[in-house]
Amino acid sequence: MPSSDPSGVTAPKIDQRLLEAEILEVGRRLATGSGSDLQHPIRALNERAMQLASRDQELRAALFRLVDVTPATRSLDDLGRHLAGLVGEVGSPPPPLEAALRTAHTKAGRIALGAAVAAAVRHMSRRFIVGASAADARREILSMWEAGIASTVDLLGEVTVTASEADAYRDRCLETLDQLEAGLRAGPERPVLERDSLGALPRANLSVKITALTPLIRAEAPERGAADAAGRLRTLLDRARALGAHLHLDMESLDARETTMEVVFDLLDSPEFRDGPSAGLVLQAYLRDSPGQLDRILEWAASSPRTSPVIVRLVKGAYWDHEVAEARQHGWDVPVFTDKAECDRNFEALTRRLLAARPGVRVAIGSHNVRSLAHAIALNRLAGGDDSDLELQVLRGLGDDLALTLAAEGLRVRVYCPVGDLVAGMAYLVRRLLENTSNESFLWAAAEGAPLEELLAAP
Amino acid sequence: MSEVSRSGAPRPFANQPVLELRRAGEREALAAALRELDATLPLEVPVLIDGDRGAAAGIDSTDPGSPDRLVATSGEAGESHVSAAVELAAEAGREWAGRPAAKRAATLTRAADILRGRRLELAALEVRECAKPWVEADADVCEAIDFLVYYARGASRLERGPELIQVAGERNSMRRVARGVAAVISPWNFPLAIPAGMVGAALAAGNGVVLKPAEQSPACALRLVEALHEAGVPKGALALLPGFGGTGASLVRHPGVHVVAFTGSSAVGLEIIRVAAETPPGQGHVKSVVAEMGGKNCVIVDADADLDEVVVAVVRSAFAYAGQKCSACSRVLAHEAIADGLTERLAGAIATLAIGQAERFGIDVPPLIEREAAERVDRCRRTAADAGRLVAAAGDVPAEGWFCPPALVAGLPADAELLREEVFGPLLSIEPVANVEEACDRVEALPFALTGGLFARNPDTVAAVTARSPVGNLYVNRHITGAMVGRQPFGGNRLSGIGAQAGGPDYLLEFTESHVVSENTIRHGLVVD
Repeated sequence: MPSSDPSGVTAPKIDQRLLEAEILEVGRRLATGSGSDLQHPIRALNERAMQLASRDQELRAALFRLVDVTPATRSLDDLGRHLAGLVGEVGSPPPPLEAALRTAHTKAGRIALGAAVAAAVRHMSRRFIVGASAADARREILSMWEAGIASTVDLLGEVTVTASEADAYRDRCLETLDQLEAGLRAGPERPVLERDSLGALPRANLSVKITALTPLIRAEAPERGAADAAGRLRTLLDRARALGAHLHLDMESLDARETTMEVVFDLLDSPEFRDGPSAGLVLQAYLRDSPGQLDRILEWAASSPRTSPVIVRLVKGAYWDHEVAEARQHGWDVPVFTDKAECDRNFEALTRRLLAARPGVRVAIGSHNVRSLAHAIALNRLAGGDDSDLELQVLRGLGDDLALTLAAEGLRVRVYCPVGDLVAGMAYLVRRLLENTSNESFLWAAAEGAPLEELLAAP
Repeated sequence: MSEVSRSGAPRPFANQPVLELRRAGEREALAAALRELDATLPLEVPVLIDGDRGAAAGIDSTDPGSPDRLVATSGEAGESHVSAAVELAAEAGREWAGRPAAKRAATLTRAADILRGRRLELAALEVRECAKPWVEADADVCEAIDFLVYYARGASRLERGPELIQVAGERNSMRRVARGVAAVISPWNFPLAIPAGMVGAALAAGNGVVLKPAEQSPACALRLVEALHEAGVPKGALALLPGFGGTGASLVRHPGVHVVAFTGSSAVGLEIIRVAAETPPGQGHVKSVVAEMGGKNCVIVDADADLDEVVVAVVRSAFAYAGQKCSACSRVLAHEAIADGLTERLAGAIATLAIGQAERFGIDVPPLIEREAAERVDRCRRTAADAGRLVAAAGDVPAEGWFCPPALVAGLPADAELLREEVFGPLLSIEPVANVEEACDRVEALPFALTGGLFARNPDTVAAVTARSPVGNLYVNRHITGAMVGRQPFGGNRLSGIGAQAGGPDYLLEFTESHVVSENTIRHGLVVD
């Protein structure tokens, strides 16, 4: 039985001062590595634009809404109108945008503005999206592999509201598994990426979303969505097993959690998937009840007849704003931590427990917070663990520099790579990831020059 | 919860939180409450005047999903009951009106506490008596609590009266005074919240009340009246008169009634307004009416709309509780650039809807309230399918119960009945428009103006539609049902209603008349301010 004590009594006792010193050491190396790439001119430009937007909430909202609506506009003129309408709502737009607004009074001006926006969205999307389709993304995924960086692919797309949309998503997933396996099969050997002390790790890795696999997510009836998604997920597990690929079930908003847990536990326990494929699920540290969820996962893993342990990806969680707004609108207790330090402490407590739960589970830590990553790496090392038994994950576009640094350190890093239409996909990404202020707080703090010791201090 | 915080400052009004049904424990508690309720059925709903329980037989209230199950039997109040109830309400109402507003408010707040304590049982009763699915039943109980608390707070504000202009030598004041006797005629579709709102407002303002609930939901109404009596509303000041339309008609005609509060169909509402305007000999006052009536609610979808959100919101607005809400969406006006794609996605989404018994968690479409309703909606669907094209109709419908498959119709001619008349069932139509302006023209051409929706992502479009829309409640980029007390005061214009919006700052005024006093303060040549 795993302990529910957040300090993790099953972990060997580690001197806190030693740990903090090691965290500082590891963190310094990671941070210096990731700073260097900011000198890249295009990247620096992007960072500046996003920084500008992040300082002004209104402007930030307007720009995100503009990206969000771009695929739904019918012409450059129409896009220019939307720019004018959205920026027009901002109280005091910065001078360049004010000038842009003045040109929006003529059709020619709007078309020019629309063209600029379209180009900017495409430019931005190349940073966040690895390709329009799996076939498209193959080369990029392979070259990452060659550079010592593993990947997991996430297919972007519209919300599933019909059965045929769920089927279409399943089919895209099947196609993607095929493409990834075929693409990566040719890659050179990368022992850090494909082996831990328990054995081989699949090269091809796909992350899927339960809400895309069924239109029947009902928070008050998780069994409905679970029953409907199970058929499609079984097909995906079959293919992943045949190809020797890894399938990871993402975690989304709290309304879909029970559905996800039910379907994952049920299917992975079934005899047909006892010996594979490699599979994983996600634990969201921003949820106040996440320690209890970890108990549940570990209890299940301990009793599961599976031969290879499930991979648990620990993340902070990407739906913070949504969860807070939903709870406040309904008058519920907010299910997520509203204090960043509390959340960070919980992240570290869960990291500790997960590392101690090996080899019953495999562990992946997904974060852009250098302190959180350094903590996991340092703790693992001090506890006598092997680097290969800890995977680190970052998001494409937000954690690229970190990925390079982690790879250079000889650690296994996996980049979560969205794949989808460059314009429509960007709209989905904005909605899901970038609108959530929680995803960037560390990055902004770093970009704004907070001292390293402060960023690496215990939460 | 106290209305006043420890520091003595009034707490801001907050809506009663709905149950967090994504938690299994809360679902289990509701299921247990339903089992307990089932063991006590059928309930008896008497004619209740001055607390005397009269006959409780004559009208059967059955489970719409299982018509053999008798949920309640109720009495049927006749002319003599109406007269007795109105006369008592006038008398007891005077004493009630004489109590300070703070005392009346405390009584109503106590009634809200009682409902809160029985919330599981009440939600279960709504599931049985009206086939409200759990999410909606629970929300209705919460809204009933909200109305009582909100109007209780309003009563104290009302008593203070508005500020008037004061000049040297005179003192001016304005008091809001209860009208006298309020006749409340309530529907079955929000069987606790709507009567709680109308009764609660009338009582908060100091009136005596006679409640005639819909014959389909007498047991829910009884639970409300019991809670108010238990909280301390004088028995005589609140009577319950179960019955059919005839009982309501007698009540409206009675010369002792001062204000009629009604929620229901346009046909009945217009008849009430006509009858209430009469001043027969012996009636020394003009009755006033506050009425919430029908709607033909349209959702406009511009070309730039987020269709992912549109599909989910429209399906919910049109088919939740089988479309039996006056706020429900019945027409989609979609920009021609996206109309075909939206039609296809809506059709696919409708095909996934689960039709079944309200007591099952996760059911999307429960049965209609009664046989006549199911037959009427079936007729409407067939007529519409002949005039246009049936794009989608969800498949299997349970054999037992008044079920009706949710359906979407396209291609209707401009003069089709379905585009004008309220169906009050799970039937939706979609039509392409050249642009948002044309959609606004079509909305403007309707005699109804209750709710409306707009999906658009250009702020200029939102501003333009907002400026033109005649509806009482316009919802932008969201579903168009589920107005919250204090957040979205609810009510329509044109033939959709008359009077202030419920759950808003002006509603209590409907139950008052105003008395202005201007006093000369010049005494012996001295001006005393």
